[in-house]
Amino acid sequence: MMGTLDYIWLGVLAVFQGPELFSIFGLPISITLLMILCGFLLGIVVGATPGLAGPVAMAISLPILISVFGYTPDALLPVMGFLIGIMKGATIGGAVPAILFNTPGTPDAYMTTLDGYPMAQKGHAKKALRVAHFASVSGDTFSDVVLVICAPFLALLVEQYLDLPEKTALLILSLSFIAAAVGGSAAKGLISTGLGLLVAFIGTGADFYPRLSMGTEALSQGITLGPAILGVLIIGAVFHELAGQWRHRDVASRPVPQIEIGSDRLSLGDIRKLMPYIGRSAIVGTMVGALPGIGSTLAATIGYTMGQRRHEKRAKLDEPAFGEGAMEGIAATEAANSSVSGANLIPVLSLGIPGNTAAVFLILAADSIGGFNPGPSVFKFTTDAVNPELVIAFGLFTAMFVANFLNWTIGGLFMRSMGVMARVPKQLLLPVVLLLTLTAIYVQETRLEVIWFTLAFGLLGYGMRLLAISPLPFVIAFILGGKLEATARQAFDATGSDPFFLLNNPIAAAFMVLSVAIIFLASRKKPESK
Amino acid sequence: MKKPLFQNTNVMTGLFFTALALLLLFVWIPLDSDTGLIEKVRRQVAIGDALAPTVAALFLLIGGGLLMLLEGKSDTPPAIDAASVKFVARIFAMLVLSFVLMRYAGPLAVQVVNAIQGNDLEYRLLRDTAPWKWLGYVLGGTLAICGTISLTEGRFSLRALVVALLAIAAMIAIFDLPFDDLLLPPNGDL
Repeated sequence: MMGTLDYIWLGVLAVFQGPELFSIFGLPISITLLMILCGFLLGIVVGATPGLAGPVAMAISLPILISVFGYTPDALLPVMGFLIGIMKGATIGGAVPAILFNTPGTPDAYMTTLDGYPMAQKGHAKKALRVAHFASVSGDTFSDVVLVICAPFLALLVEQYLDLPEKTALLILSLSFIAAAVGGSAAKGLISTGLGLLVAFIGTGADFYPRLSMGTEALSQGITLGPAILGVLIIGAVFHELAGQWRHRDVASRPVPQIEIGSDRLSLGDIRKLMPYIGRSAIVGTMVGALPGIGSTLAATIGYTMGQRRHEKRAKLDEPAFGEGAMEGIAATEAANSSVSGANLIPVLSLGIPGNTAAVFLILAADSIGGFNPGPSVFKFTTDAVNPELVIAFGLFTAMFVANFLNWTIGGLFMRSMGVMARVPKQLLLPVVLLLTLTAIYVQETRLEVIWFTLAFGLLGYGMRLLAISPLPFVIAFILGGKLEATARQAFDATGSDPFFLLNNPIAAAFMVLSVAIIFLASRKKPESK
Repeated sequence: MKKPLFQNTNVMTGLFFTALALLLLFVWIPLDSDTGLIEKVRRQVAIGDALAPTVAALFLLIGGGLLMLLEGKSDTPPAIDAASVKFVARIFAMLVLSFVLMRYAGPLAVQVVNAIQGNDLEYRLLRDTAPWKWLGYVLGGTLAICGTISLTEGRFSLRALVVALLAIAAMIAIFDLPFDDLLLPPNGDL
């Protein structure tokens, strides 16, 4: 008989006692542990490199990892552990160039520059990096604890109370929420979502003829996940960055200032002073992260603003204000943006709805390898036989805590040595990333067609960025499109072909009303200028 | 000073996606789906293949409409710089050229060798044999990286060529040398 604790223990064992790579003093080291470590270190490196970020590293490593580990369920934890390591590492790595060179390594580290760089200019760069690391890891750990507690409960609630019509309505609600929340313009979010759905429906369907294929062989096979997602997310971003580099090619490159790292330590008194800021930001970041589609940049902004208000009321006269090198500013920002990452996995693991790009790559990995379908069905605590998907889910939670342990122990030291990455010229790095991504896609699908598709989606991604249309709703809608249609078909059949199946059930109707209300309310809001 | 391509990009974008949605709803979806919005299968009504794309088109229609109506008069519509668009078009064209070179360089080299030495070699049989298997990738990849760097910097430099060659060598070391089952482009197609 399997109980909840047995599943948790099996998940822990799957990470620690998986296929052994080598042993240290007779203690076996599993391949999953090593992959988490490698992913974590790579994540810090790419996070600390402006122009690169976690998604790029995930996109490039995924086909290599799949080639190494194959398409068996045993591959799931090492591959996904590596991706989780990247996600965690990139989160703290982004703060390094933000503090040392006033250049955010990742977009969500922008607010870190406001206080981090002034602190570095005053000769306290090391302390600023320590504050960023401490706040980031604290926020991240808190967020992971919330994920582990919430995701199974949410999944159980969904399985217990939601039938097919409600699940269809929930998917529609998620899509409209993402459309309204991402990018600051509901109209553009709807366009991005519509495009994602449209592409998902090309060459698919229940009929013998592959719809919207225009009779062509290339479209009749449908668009696979890799070219569409990597094209829009990575190649589109590379085109956009290259255009920015080209526009400013005549401007003499800004000399990278030599910053004295200093040697200040983070005292117990400092930590006591920072904790209220970290605590508040961690809660805000976790709440923001649990909602699909809302990114860490918003969490960082809210965390920073809240921290600023508190600091204005409580700071002593001789303490620097926010924006002038206050370590509380770094802590508020880093705790908020880091606590998004764990919570962002709540919708993907409990509902199968990816909320951010890291979750998109976890889905891509699960989809490529097989044997694990993120969603409410994962959390079936079967007692008579082992549910392997549940063991994997607890294995993933364990991997997150292993990555956190690495973050607490070696993360700070490694992070502080990464300042050199900000000196890599973007115009040299981006073309290499471009070919690396295209090669990675090709080796997985071995058809030149996928290169053309990826480049075409890259142009679409560039165009979307040019028009200030966020590509994230596109990607999420593309992933959920097939699931939405399949669930709607099943719901329609199950309700005896009731055309109003989304409105006859109170929960489904409430979800539908909410979907419309969210778009309506978001449209009335003045759009954010890009 | 950037020269904007359109005066109000939000209106143009909204108009474009509204037109695309209408085209989808009235032309593409009806003509390119075998079943309609709903269909009758053995006296039972089921959802047809046209329904899902119709929902997608409605998202585009509502989005395009809202963009024109509510954000058309935005003070800060995204400015499109015509020169940047042309630059990305040049990068895109160069990448297409690189992959065409990648695709045909290997087979062409085999034909040239056959013509000179009177051999009867086939690239298909050599696609997993060094150095043939790397020929297209090295030439096309070098052009892609070196060309992109040169276009971005506005000049050709030896540094761009060295970076390209080193990067290609590293990619071969990552993707090809350790794995027997991975094929570099374009060898999976040939």
